[in-house]
Amino acid sequence: MATISGASVKNIVVACEAGMGSSVMVAKMLAKQLKAQGVAVTHSPVNQLNDTAHDLVLCHRGLGSRAKQAVPGSVVIVFDMFLGDLRIAEVVSRIQSGDDISDD
Amino acid sequence: MANFIPTGDGGHSGWRASVQKFGGNLAGMVIPNIGAFIAWGLLTALFIPTGWLPNEQLSSMVGPMIINLLPILIGYTGGRLVHGQRGAVIGSIATVGVIVGTSIPMFLGAMLIGPLAAWVLKKIDAVLDPVTPTGFEMLIGNFSLGISGMLMAILGFLGIGPAVNAISDVLGAGVKVLVDTGFLPLASILIEPAKILFLNNAINFGVLAPIGAVEAEETGKSIMFMLESNPGPGLGLLVAFWLAGPKILRGSAPGAIVIHFLGGIHEIYFPYVLLKPIVVLAAIAGGATGVATFAATGVGLVATPSPGSIFAYMTMTPPGNHFGVLLGIALSAAVSFVVAFFILKATSSGDDAADLDAAKAKSAEMKSGTAN
Repeated sequence: MATISGASVKNIVVACEAGMGSSVMVAKMLAKQLKAQGVAVTHSPVNQLNDTAHDLVLCHRGLGSRAKQAVPGSVVIVFDMFLGDLRIAEVVSRIQSGDDISDD
Repeated sequence: MANFIPTGDGGHSGWRASVQKFGGNLAGMVIPNIGAFIAWGLLTALFIPTGWLPNEQLSSMVGPMIINLLPILIGYTGGRLVHGQRGAVIGSIATVGVIVGTSIPMFLGAMLIGPLAAWVLKKIDAVLDPVTPTGFEMLIGNFSLGISGMLMAILGFLGIGPAVNAISDVLGAGVKVLVDTGFLPLASILIEPAKILFLNNAINFGVLAPIGAVEAEETGKSIMFMLESNPGPGLGLLVAFWLAGPKILRGSAPGAIVIHFLGGIHEIYFPYVLLKPIVVLAAIAGGATGVATFAATGVGLVATPSPGSIFAYMTMTPPGNHFGVLLGIALSAAVSFVVAFFILKATSSGDDAADLDAAKAKSAEMKSGTAN
């Protein structure tokens, strides 16, 4: 389990299988929501996560164990839905408010 | 918070992560090069003798692209994944050996030898780097790559090419038996559940596309490109979730339908099925219906449609095949909708946990404006 303060999140990487499909979509939506906070949101294939600079990793639950394997030291938040997900919304609000974010 | 998702948790199933990872590597070699596949597919659809605008001169690009360019790109990308730019270069060199050793499109061979050659070079570099005298880095670097590249190309020519050729023959013959005997729709029993587990790219780009490419090179089209990528079953499922799913999921379904069917991002519907795993039966029924229709009408696509959007499907459909392709997509969507609708109606009680969590999600979404 890893924790990071929402205020210090400046780089988010959204991961998916190929790093070109669903992750791009989610990254675009997040970037829009976090524009005011100056957070950069990028996307990556889950196998290449350790080549990315990130404070926080987001990926679907189905890829969660591989993401954690790739970057064991990072905060990896898994979500269930690509649209309107509770965890993603929570991450966004915690970054906006500066609260701690942890993957449990 | 998500205990109601019985099969979506990647945390406890190491085998699935391993298979996904392996498949992810296969897909990782193909997906970055899809643009080249599309260029080749368009050239094929337009200019071959049975295409829209037959043109002998322009169609002369079709063969070199699928025989040489696409496998080399795959070998290049596979090498780059293992060992950066040097891996990419040796992966390309070695792939040429595999290509020349056979007469069929060597996607599988390139997927093998690209990373293998890069791995070998990585080991060689690990030995040579520490003992390279200052000023000799470029000399040793270039010649270690050149010599090992030559050797890997020879290995590809003599060993891997013929071996993969034999494997492709067996796979192709097996598929032909499945098609001829009418058993091909049964493939959906494996493919649809595997998709939901995020093995979609592994199946499509690792298994089906290489087999399909061999067939498409010979006959101009292949049904193998359509087994996994048909957007029909997902469309039917999402419409069923929209009309009869757990109440709170209904709101996001229309957006998901657009992203899935028009945008071609199939991943968007997997979570809905993971919430109600039994609905995978609808995906199987829809998928099998689609495959049966495609087979019965004798249609195929010229190249793999990626992403699996209706637009990519129409673009990759050769002349005269549009009716069968559209019919297969429509029927698969209709069947998957009917089955999913029935299942969702029959099991609509006992959703409380899902509804509650989804309700929370909805309200959080309202707060943060995710709905944009």
